[in-house]
Amino acid sequence: MKIRAIAVAAIAAPMLLAACATSGAKFSEMATSMSAPKPDTGRIYFYRTTVLGAALQPAVRLNGEVVGKAVPRGFFYADCPPGSYQVATETEVERKLTFTLDAGQVRYVRLSVSMGFWVGHVYGELVDEAKGQEEIADMRYTGAPTRP
Amino acid sequence: MIVSRRFLGVFGIVAVLVASCAPLVVQEPTQLAPGVGKSFRLTRATEVPLSTGYSTTLRANTRWDLVGTVTQGEVYRTKDQVVTLEGAHIHEGYIVVNQGALVGFYLPVERTFSPVTPTKALSIEP
Repeated sequence: MKIRAIAVAAIAAPMLLAACATSGAKFSEMATSMSAPKPDTGRIYFYRTTVLGAALQPAVRLNGEVVGKAVPRGFFYADCPPGSYQVATETEVERKLTFTLDAGQVRYVRLSVSMGFWVGHVYGELVDEAKGQEEIADMRYTGAPTRP
Repeated sequence: MIVSRRFLGVFGIVAVLVASCAPLVVQEPTQLAPGVGKSFRLTRATEVPLSTGYSTTLRANTRWDLVGTVTQGEVYRTKDQVVTLEGAHIHEGYIVVNQGALVGFYLPVERTFSPVTPTKALSIEP
């Protein structure tokens, strides 16, 4: 009986988690229609590949301003002037990511999940452009472009 | 030896707490004097252990361009890979080279120097 309950939970859990993910257009479908950033700005893509801890969808702050939400299997972006940037999410533990952005540069920030004391943490990781392009391809759009 | 459930519970909580509290990346104040005109290619990958317990890898066949100097050495950055230093927080880093060895990282956002101990010899060519 117990084993059957575990098996049902094991099957149901991924379905429930998938349901929590976004339903916007895939990055690969949008890529050609998305406008390029202005020449005097750079672009920062944020994406979350994992559905692990799907209920946890904290706001993502860029230099203190909310620019989007860490939705499982989702992505969004921000076009920003060149400069220094800090990414933080509002979870139990704040783990910040700092990096620079040049004009015309594209940065990819993967929103990863790690285990926490009471709940998981979501934090930003800066990834290589090639890796970012590969990972973001299947992610779905979660919001309008924002500028901090 | 009999281990109580309470002990196991407390031990588990402590283990999770320890795992979730990585140390901060060590940083020292420094001042970058901008510079250009030098570059090199890293011919062999170099794994650099950090004091936080994490490590970062400089990939082979990456080209590094001088962006300036700090008192600890010359500061180089590359467009061929992302370099980050991971600890309680994650920071982008440029490498600091002195006499062919990696002596640390320059954190461009924080404008600080993070030393590497011991220093790592780099395999480089023009």
